[in-house]
Amino acid sequence: MKAKISQSLILIVFSVSNSCLALKALDDASLSAVQAQSGLTIEQSQLLNIGSLSYTDDGNDLAIEGLRLSSQNDVNGVASRTYKMDVSADGSLKVETDIKPTQMHIDAIRIKNSVASFGDFTLNYEAVTNFSVKGMSSGGLEGNFTAGVSNADLIWKTNGHAMSFDNIGYNASIDNFTLEYDAIDNTKGFIRTGLEIGMDNFDFYFSSGALSLAGVSLGELAGELALSANVQIFGGGRSAIGVETEGLTFHSQVSILSDPGNYVRFTDDNNSLLMGDFSGAINLTNLTLDVESDHLAIGFDQLDGSFNAGKILIGDSTKPVGSIELDFLLNDGLVNNRFQLSPGITRPDFNAMPDQIKNYAISFYSGLLIPAGQPNAGQPNLAAEGLSIASQWNLANAELSYIDDGRRVVFSGIQSSGSANTTIDVRDEKLAIGISDSKGSYSIDGLRVGSKTAPLQGGAELLLSLEVFQAMDFDIDGFTEITAGGATGGGIRIDGDYFFSNSNIGLSIDENGKGIWATGVNYDIHLRDITFDVESDGVKINRGEQWSTMDIANLRWGDKAGGRSLGRIKLERFEQNSSLAIIPGGAGEVCVGANASSESACGSGGGRWEDRGEQGMTVSLKAAFADAGATTDGSAIARNRLTWENNRDINPAGDEVKGTQIVFNNFSTNDGTGSDGENSSNDYGFKANLSIDVFETKVLKKTADAQDDTVYELLYDDNSNPVFDEITYVASSIVEANTSDGEALRARRPLGFAVKGNILFKELEIESVQLVHTNAPAAPQTVFYGVVMQNFNLTTNLTATPIQ
Amino acid sequence: MIKIIIIALSALYLPCSMALEPLGEEELQQVLGQGGVYLSGDITINEAGGPLNVETDTSNPGVWKDSCTTSSTNVRCGARIAVNAGDGDSSGWLVLDNIRGRFSFEGMTLTTRTINSGFDNNFDPTNTAHDPNDAEYGEDGVAFNRDVLEIGLPYTIKYSNVSFTLANSNFARPTDTEVNSQGQVIAEFAQTDILSVKIDGDVSLRGNLLLFPTGNP
Repeated sequence: MKAKISQSLILIVFSVSNSCLALKALDDASLSAVQAQSGLTIEQSQLLNIGSLSYTDDGNDLAIEGLRLSSQNDVNGVASRTYKMDVSADGSLKVETDIKPTQMHIDAIRIKNSVASFGDFTLNYEAVTNFSVKGMSSGGLEGNFTAGVSNADLIWKTNGHAMSFDNIGYNASIDNFTLEYDAIDNTKGFIRTGLEIGMDNFDFYFSSGALSLAGVSLGELAGELALSANVQIFGGGRSAIGVETEGLTFHSQVSILSDPGNYVRFTDDNNSLLMGDFSGAINLTNLTLDVESDHLAIGFDQLDGSFNAGKILIGDSTKPVGSIELDFLLNDGLVNNRFQLSPGITRPDFNAMPDQIKNYAISFYSGLLIPAGQPNAGQPNLAAEGLSIASQWNLANAELSYIDDGRRVVFSGIQSSGSANTTIDVRDEKLAIGISDSKGSYSIDGLRVGSKTAPLQGGAELLLSLEVFQAMDFDIDGFTEITAGGATGGGIRIDGDYFFSNSNIGLSIDENGKGIWATGVNYDIHLRDITFDVESDGVKINRGEQWSTMDIANLRWGDKAGGRSLGRIKLERFEQNSSLAIIPGGAGEVCVGANASSESACGSGGGRWEDRGEQGMTVSLKAAFADAGATTDGSAIARNRLTWENNRDINPAGDEVKGTQIVFNNFSTNDGTGSDGENSSNDYGFKANLSIDVFETKVLKKTADAQDDTVYELLYDDNSNPVFDEITYVASSIVEANTSDGEALRARRPLGFAVKGNILFKELEIESVQLVHTNAPAAPQTVFYGVVMQNFNLTTNLTATPIQ
Repeated sequence: MIKIIIIALSALYLPCSMALEPLGEEELQQVLGQGGVYLSGDITINEAGGPLNVETDTSNPGVWKDSCTTSSTNVRCGARIAVNAGDGDSSGWLVLDNIRGRFSFEGMTLTTRTINSGFDNNFDPTNTAHDPNDAEYGEDGVAFNRDVLEIGLPYTIKYSNVSFTLANSNFARPTDTEVNSQGQVIAEFAQTDILSVKIDGDVSLRGNLLLFPTGNP
C-alpha cells in the first residue's frame, strides 16, 4: 500500500512541478492580462478497464489484473468526479476533488504469472479531497491536504467467499507536508539520494460500520490518531544489492502526538473495547519491498520505539483498567525480521507433521482441493486464492509496563525469535488461518516494580494464573477458523486445533534460565464453538467445548536440559460450556485477615484494611469438567485425567522404559447430584474469580535470630525509584500504627500483586485414583474407588511480592 | 529445519552467555534471590457457607439448602470430602465434613535456588558461629549440588474458627440413596461422626521446606 501511495505521490509531485514551471514562464505583462480568474473546473466521467498493470522489479513482476474503475451501481457505467483547480495569492496550487460513488475492482494480483492469486478486491467509495501545494525556497514542495472518504466498503474475496469492511468513513488532514529530493542514505555501504517526505500533524479518523463475514458482523472498528512523521524513500531493495538494483527502501521516524482524544475502539453490539490517550515514537530503518520470483519480500533492519496508551476500557466505560507503556526493539540478529507474501495457499507438508495434528491439518485444507467432476478431482487446487506468508522475527527486547492507580509493574526483558508459515483465506463464511512449522522461543527476564529502572526481580510466574508462561521454546502447528457472530448478536467465534510439539515451558525461572521447566512437552488443544463478545461489564469468552492433552516428558528442576526430573506429568482435559470473563476493576476495598466491611471493624477484628483503588482487573473463570466420553464432533474420546509417572529407565537401546504411574482418573464437576444418572447436570462447574491489583504489600524480615521476637517490615527508602541497597527494616508495629508516621511508612512498602480470589464448586468428583505398575499396565491397582468433594467456597486475599 | 532450530536456540542463549560475565559487587547485590515470590494474606473456607447452600438456587438439593452465616452450626454449611478407600460399591466412605475456617499468614516465600554449599555435616550445637572456614563446612552442600523449590514457611499461621468433622458414611453424598430394581429406596444416607475439631490460635512455623526431584531421566 505504501508503495502505491508513494508512487501516486511521485506522479502528483511531478505533475505539480511542471505546473509551477509553467507559472514562472508568465511575465508581468501576461499576468496583468489575466483577470478575474476563478480557476479551472474539470468534470471527468470515466470507465477504466485495464487488463493488466504490472510493477516490475529486477525482472519479476507484480501484476494487477482486471483493474476496473467504474460507477458503483453499474460496472459498465462511468464514474464521475470533479476537479477544481486554482492558484492562490501565495503561489500555491489548490486542487479540490469531488469523487462521486465509484467502484475500484481488481480481479486478481499475481506474481510472475503465478497460477494462484492473492484474491479479488473491491473498493466502493466516494470522497472529497482538498490539496494545496507550492514550491519551497530551498527547493522541493510543501502544502497541506485534507480528505474525507465516506460510504466506503472494502471487500476481499478468495475462491468466491468474501470478507468485508462495510460502511467505512475516513477523514484525514495534514497541516503541512514537505516533499524534497535530498534524503541521503549510506546504511548499506554506499551513498544514495532519495525523496524526503515530512508530515506535520497528520491527523486521521476512521470508522467501519461492520467487519463482516457472510453478512454477519464480527464487530465495528473506529479510531483517531495524530502523528508527525518523516519518511525517506530510496530506489533499490534488499535483494542482491549491486546485482539486482530495483525495489524500494524506506526509513521512517514517526511521533505519535500526545492527545487524550486519540483512540482505537472495537465495538460489538454497542459495547466497546477501547484503548486511547496514545503517545510514543516509532522508528523504522531499511524497510524494503522487493518482488521476487514467487513472492513479495518485505523486510526491515530495525523497528524500535515506544507506545503508550493512557486509557484502556473493557466494556464498562466507568472503570478504566489502568494504562500500559511498551518499549520495544526488533532488529536483525541471528534471526532477521523478514516476511515473504506469496499469492495462493501454500499447503504444509502433511507427512512432516506430528500424527497428533496431521489429520486435523488435512481436514483444514480439504476445502481447497479440486472439486469432484473436474480433471484431477481431489488433488490440491494450485489455483486456490489466498495469502501465504513465510515470516521470521527477532524481538531483541521489550519492556511492558502496566500501571494501576499510579503503581507500575514492568515485565522486563521480553525476547522472542522464530519463524512461521501462515496461510490466510476466506471460505464458507469463515476466515481461515493456518500456521505450520512455527518454531521459536520467547522469554521474560523478570519484573521491575515501581519504576522502569528498579532492579530486576522474580515474580513473572505470577502470570501462570492467567496461563501465560515465563518462557517457552515452541514448535506449533495450529489451524483456526473464525466465524462472525458471538454468543449473542455480533462477535467472534473460533474453532481451532493446535499442537505444541516437543516444547519446553519455563514455569518459574530466573533471568539465567534456571528454575522449574516442563520439557519435552507435547500439547494438543482442540477448541470448538469458542465465542468472544464484548458486554456492558467486560469481555466474555464462552468455551463451547475444548479438549486437550498436555504431556510433559519431564518436569525438571534447574536447567531445562540437564536438571533432575520429577517424572512425566500428563494432564488431559475435557470441558463443555466453560467460560472466561475479563471485567474491569480490581478488588477495591478489602479486609485481609478478618471478616469485616469497614476499616474500623477490620482493625478491631485483627485484620488489615486495604483500599486497592478503582483500577485493576478481575478474571472470572468457569471450568465445567465433563464426564469422560466422545467429543461432539466424534473425533476423539476425551476425559479429565492427571497422570504422574516416575521411576522410568532407559534401556540399552536408548528407549524409555515406562515407570510406575499414579492416575487421578476421570475427574469432573457436577451440580451436587453426582455425575451419573438422569438428574446429573453440570452448569455450575469450577469457578475461580480473581481480582488483580498492583498494590503496596507487607513484607516481613525473616530474621535468623530466634531470640528476637520483634517483627520487622521491609520498606523502601524511596518508593519512586527503589533499589536493593536502599531499604530499611522498621518494626511492623510502628508501620501498622494508625498515625501519620505509620501512614507515611506504609506508603514506602514494596509493590506487588494483590489478588483477591474466590474459588467455588458444588461438586468435584474423581472416579478413581489408581497405581499402574510397569509390568502390568493393563491391570491398574485402585487406591481410591472415588473421591467426592462438595460445597467448596474458598476465599483468598493474597499479596504476592516479587522477591529481591 | 535444524538450522532454524539452532539459530533460534542460539538467539535464546546469547543473552544468557553474556549474563555470565563477571559482575561487580554492586551488581551482584541486585541479582540476589531472583525468581521467586513472597506471599501474605489469608485463605478462608466456607465462611458464609458454600455454593450448595444458596437457597435461591433451585438446582441445589434440599438437604444442602440453608442461609449459612459465620455463626451457623449446620454441618452442611461446611465443605465436604468423601473418600472411598475400600473396595468400591460395597464399602463405606471416609469423610472429612463441615470444613470451615480462616488461615492467615505473613511471609510465605516460594523460590527456586541451587544448593551447592552449606550443611555443616559435623554440626556442633555449641558452636553458634558455624564458621564457614571450618574444613567440614559445606561438604554436604557440595555433594548435594541440586536445584530445589524452597517454600519458606511463614513465622505464624493464625487459625480463626477452623473446624472439621471426621466421619464414616455409607454413601459419598448426603443426597445419595440406594434403590432396587423397582425403584424403591432400600437404603437411606447415614453418617457416623467420629470426632469434631475446632481450632483458634497461632501456629508457629519456621524454616524452609525444600522440594527437589530425585528422578532420572
